[in-house]
Amino acid sequence: MMKKLLSILLVVALAIGMLSACATNTSSSTDVAAPAETSAASTSTTAAPEEKVVLKLGIYPADTDEAAIEAMEGVITRFNETHPNVEVERAYYKYATDNIAPMAEAGTLPTIFESWFTEPQKLIRAGYVRDITDLLEARGWLDLITPAIRSLLSDADGKVYGIPRDAYALGLMCNVELFEEAGLTNPDGTIQYPKTWEELAQTGKKIKDATGSSGFVLLAGEDLGADGWHFSNIAWAYGAKLVTDNGDGTYTPNLNSKEVVDAMEMVKSLKWTYDILTPDPFSEGWATGFTQIGTGAAAMYIGANDAVEQPTANNGLPVDKLSLVPIPAGPGGQYSLSGGTPYMFAANATDAEVNAALDFLVAFGKAPVVDESTVESLRAQAATKLERGVPNIQRFPCWTSPEIQAAEDAVLAEYTNVNANLYADYFAAVSTAGNLHTEEPGDTQAMYKELGKVIQAVLLDENSDVQALLDTAQANYIAILQEEGILGK
Amino acid sequence: MEVPIKIKNHRWKQDVTGWLIMLPALILFAFFIWEPLFESVRLSLFAAKGYHTTDFVGLDNYIGLFANPDFAIAWKNTSLYVLCSLVIGFVVPIFMAAIITESPFLRGITRVSVYMPNILPGLAVVLIWKFLFNAGDTGVLNILLKPLGELVAKISGQVYKPFNWLTAPGWAIPLIIVMLTWKAAGSTALIYMAGISGINPDIIEAATIDGAKPLRRFFSITLPNLGSLISTMFILQIISVFQILYEPMMIGGVHNNQVSVMMLVYEYAFDKQNYPKAAAMSVLICIALLFLTLIYFTVNKLVNRDDSKGRTKA
Amino acid sequence: MKNRRRSQFLARRYSNKQDGVLRAYDMRSRGNRAWAIVIFVVCLAMIAIVLFPVIWVMLAGFKDVKEFTRSTAIIPSSFSFSEYIKTWNQLKFSRYYFNSLVLIIGAMISAVVFNGLLAYVLAILKPKGHKVVFALVMATMLIPPTTSIVAQYVNINNVLNWAAKLFQVDNYQTTILPMIPLWLIYGANAFWLILFKQFFEGLPREYFEAARIDGCSDLAIFTRIVLPLSKPILVVIAIFAATAAWSDFLLPNLVLGNGPWKTVMARLFDFKSTINVRPTDIVRAVVFSIVPPMILFAIFQKQITKGVAGGGIKG
Repeated sequence: MMKKLLSILLVVALAIGMLSACATNTSSSTDVAAPAETSAASTSTTAAPEEKVVLKLGIYPADTDEAAIEAMEGVITRFNETHPNVEVERAYYKYATDNIAPMAEAGTLPTIFESWFTEPQKLIRAGYVRDITDLLEARGWLDLITPAIRSLLSDADGKVYGIPRDAYALGLMCNVELFEEAGLTNPDGTIQYPKTWEELAQTGKKIKDATGSSGFVLLAGEDLGADGWHFSNIAWAYGAKLVTDNGDGTYTPNLNSKEVVDAMEMVKSLKWTYDILTPDPFSEGWATGFTQIGTGAAAMYIGANDAVEQPTANNGLPVDKLSLVPIPAGPGGQYSLSGGTPYMFAANATDAEVNAALDFLVAFGKAPVVDESTVESLRAQAATKLERGVPNIQRFPCWTSPEIQAAEDAVLAEYTNVNANLYADYFAAVSTAGNLHTEEPGDTQAMYKELGKVIQAVLLDENSDVQALLDTAQANYIAILQEEGILGK
Repeated sequence: MEVPIKIKNHRWKQDVTGWLIMLPALILFAFFIWEPLFESVRLSLFAAKGYHTTDFVGLDNYIGLFANPDFAIAWKNTSLYVLCSLVIGFVVPIFMAAIITESPFLRGITRVSVYMPNILPGLAVVLIWKFLFNAGDTGVLNILLKPLGELVAKISGQVYKPFNWLTAPGWAIPLIIVMLTWKAAGSTALIYMAGISGINPDIIEAATIDGAKPLRRFFSITLPNLGSLISTMFILQIISVFQILYEPMMIGGVHNNQVSVMMLVYEYAFDKQNYPKAAAMSVLICIALLFLTLIYFTVNKLVNRDDSKGRTKA
Repeated sequence: MKNRRRSQFLARRYSNKQDGVLRAYDMRSRGNRAWAIVIFVVCLAMIAIVLFPVIWVMLAGFKDVKEFTRSTAIIPSSFSFSEYIKTWNQLKFSRYYFNSLVLIIGAMISAVVFNGLLAYVLAILKPKGHKVVFALVMATMLIPPTTSIVAQYVNINNVLNWAAKLFQVDNYQTTILPMIPLWLIYGANAFWLILFKQFFEGLPREYFEAARIDGCSDLAIFTRIVLPLSKPILVVIAIFAATAAWSDFLLPNLVLGNGPWKTVMARLFDFKSTINVRPTDIVRAVVFSIVPPMILFAIFQKQITKGVAGGGIKG
């Protein structure tokens, strides 16, 4: 008995040893992530610009993307000619919700990296990214950021934590080949695209009858986030206001209003009345939608101007057979969800490092100012697109800078490979005042997920009760907001 | 009784060497398995910023779990996974073992083939079956079964439509279990086959002389002899299916119909970076598993006691 | 006449069979002959069901994205390997193969050394308290480690950050450091430990006594006597560790991140969150990920199937 007791004690002692060992580790890693010390120390570095700076370039392309790597290497060469003191470290980083926290905690995030449009607020709250307001101010870039986008990248005090790479606004991507086959074309090469969601259902039906391909790709796949992201556009078109921002950090959801029900009924009719959806909407996610329209398995899909390479170069649609048109309107108007892919900066990056990154963006053609290397980069990028069969279309303005706009337009004119009319209506619609709508505030991902579940349910069951399903979604979302302490009264 | 090899006066020295040799492995067990269990419990009682625990919050994390609309659904689904796997996945290997044992033809090839899926990476298997289960005309199972489907449709006077495997109501969980069974049954079947081979052939001979038909021999001799093996496999099956995670996560289908408790842990930890709640969920799962194991052992004990009683009486 | 020949043929085939319930003399009865045939057909069906998905995925890998998305034919229209080669090069699988190989080799060594040593102590040396240790190990089989993956990961991350500081590296993911915990974790596996322990318990004890009288130390007994006698179990555990290490992706994905040491399966898991991915790339990547284990299996199938059957009986 005594022996047994002794051995138990020994094991317990061992376990405690482990525990305490880990406890010390925890505290030591806190030091690594402390950004305050590092940035304080860095002030001296800026004073001596000839000093060596290492720029960890998280926006370096993935190793699979050879064309982009080639273009990027060109940018790096040009950049180093003017900035010989900056050593560019190629640190490809693909943002994901499961890798940001460990890297930020370890202080190993690259100096500059791309995130998603949904993420800046989360990253700012977590303290993973650094405030670059002063640096932008010094360059005079601060007020050039398009106001809507600037608010996405700022905290409550107006401090700015990132700059936009691109802005996007959702539209309707159409496979022109299928429209041609169904005889829905105009003499000038454009297509007779649907102006409202009702029309979309009918157009989809016509195409399905004429070609056998599905009319529309609706996302109802495992990534419920993308499903709700698309659906919010439809809801707005039907006049819904999904969430009210109370201005005090609390939000009041309204997911079961009459308007949302109408929008959801429309979605339901796409499946049960018109039957124009792809065979398995539950396996459709953001990427598969592009495969469907790229391979001609479906005609229409919600997509944005920054994704035109997906159906074309990546999935085989000839470059001149894609059209991007305005997102259909509803009884409540026409709204395109708009956001931007942000560049963010690691919390522990020094001023010198961030400045190197900002200079790099100038050379890369993603900044509001233009120098010689900018134009060269823009040309190289446009040439790559031409080579790969990606439509060369204008960017969605994310800077209010006529300078960069003019440079881009000039390059674009030089490298045109598509009929601009296939995109004209889209750009007209998204530059109409009031048509753009940013994402709903609150715990947006959780809201998308709840809406996604409803979409799945109405596509599963012809007799599903839309109102009841949305009531549940509303109750669930209220519970989530309450638990997070951000539910309005 | 076995006596450890020891020379008496050096006994304590030997104990120390023994412990020293074990030490590296024990450190690994402690670091990778035992300590994380304690750490889970600790983490679940604190608030945290990232990984760094801040304030002690008691059971708040546990209470917060109930606000998750998927909480109840996940437990219900997980129970269904376990039930389904006991109906499908548990019986199939026994059946396979019996069949393969009885066939003198292609026995080696069958053995090796049925085991083969077991060495394939689980994730690759899920991605393959995702395409097999695809709905619509281009789904692989639909391509294969189309002639059959058309025949059935003709007989019942309906129009043939490709089947929506994973999204057909009530089908997702059984189909995921079918996939798991496809992967794992061969390995379990090999274990049962070894068990069957270990049965003394004289008993079968004796039964045959008594006039027992083959089926009868199987049910009254083979199966009872596999009893303890079957009972071990039973609890191992429950424990492993209870943790089903990436299969429903990666295969597609309808979220609410297949979300599992481990998926909630994963979502909390790696989508929402809410490590304390993820830990709280893990702890609940551990408690559930402990509870199930406890029931198993109690029932097992009772049954065995009855057994031995019955035997002594006879 | 025909019947008779059939029954003789079946009886001959069944004459060597010693296990199961059917015997050669059963073949005299027509009903039992029918059973024999049904059983044979079921065996064929099992082989077909098991092999079909694997054959399908290999065939599908020949298709281009349009054919894959739209065609309803199982057999691809062309059998040119160019699509496979393209995906291999684009996704840079050579590097992932190399990384997985590095992971596997470390995992095999760690699995054999650590579990082997612990099993040796528990089975043969049996110092004071060995039963408690064994009980603790057994308990881990009931509470599987997957449930504590979060805490496990937090611990590993903490230690790696600490190591990175020690070696003055910026980001541990750019070094080979994160491979170390991924190797070591295979040194703590209760199932393999039990397989080892059972095997060691079956070794003749006289050998150890003799060695000890010759003055061998405990560790020397392990390396000079136990290991050479244990080749069969060493092979089995090494193979189990290799397939397990090849298949694992949850922890490797978190620990290796986007660094240069990403493994094949971690790359496959990436498809979950990658945006510009084509279904055909997924299919071909799946093929790349299943070929090595299948080759390993083809070579070692005897040892593997024996190991599984042997382990199950007592475990």
